[in-house]
Amino acid sequence: MASEKEALNKRGVMGWINPYHYNLERWAYAFQRITGLAVLLYVLGHIGDTSFFVGGPFGSGPDKASWTWDMNATANDLGSIVLTLVVLVVVFHGINGIRLILSEFGLIFQKPSRPEYPYRAKSLRAMQRHMILVAIVAAIVASLWAGTILF
Amino acid sequence: MLLQYVTALAAVVLVVVHLLMQGVLVPYSTAVDFQHVLSMYRSWVDGAMLELLLIVVVAHGFNGLRIILIEWRQSLSWSRGVNWASLVVALAVMAYGSRTILLAVAGVVA
Repeated sequence: MASEKEALNKRGVMGWINPYHYNLERWAYAFQRITGLAVLLYVLGHIGDTSFFVGGPFGSGPDKASWTWDMNATANDLGSIVLTLVVLVVVFHGINGIRLILSEFGLIFQKPSRPEYPYRAKSLRAMQRHMILVAIVAAIVASLWAGTILF
Repeated sequence: MLLQYVTALAAVVLVVVHLLMQGVLVPYSTAVDFQHVLSMYRSWVDGAMLELLLIVVVAHGFNGLRIILIEWRQSLSWSRGVNWASLVVALAVMAYGSRTILLAVAGVVA
């Protein structure tokens, strides 16, 4: 029974990507996780890639030849596209993350009040929601800016 | 979640500085230049910030992955396995990154 499964909250990963009744906050939640995993992957790659400054996993000290080889490996269009996308997801994850912390401590919600027609949830308005839009716009602007530096 | 919030706030500050030094305050071609990177590693402030950035971001990343995995499947053995695995892998990644910094600081320049 699907409904029983849903009642047990066991929709699993598919529950994250089900667009049914998604509002902006839930999209932000999904993207916070997707961008988080993407940034973790990048960080792992970046720690591996910067280790070529000292000659890679088996190096023993600062090595200019190894570093030049490593920098040339990513100094192409694909490398620049990846770095531009990294800036996009990092900036979104950062600003949306600040929103989540402020929300957790109740700092960006409107004060509770009597429900009045048309009964819109006040928690889903004002600064709480505006910060999602700020995160999206800032991420796009920052990645375009990074693009002008990289390309 | 407190660990996640504390590391998040620290990461925001450190990542902003890191990104600004990678093309905004310092031109990109200078930022990736061998001598410049070497002097970054060998400066107390910049080197310490890179080490701190490594620890904070890896802790935040693997704690986040741990949160996702624990939410995905609920059982005591799964939770314990995920807790230990994320701790061990995070420490291993921190050790590998710290090795780069230590060798960059103390190693003989080839």
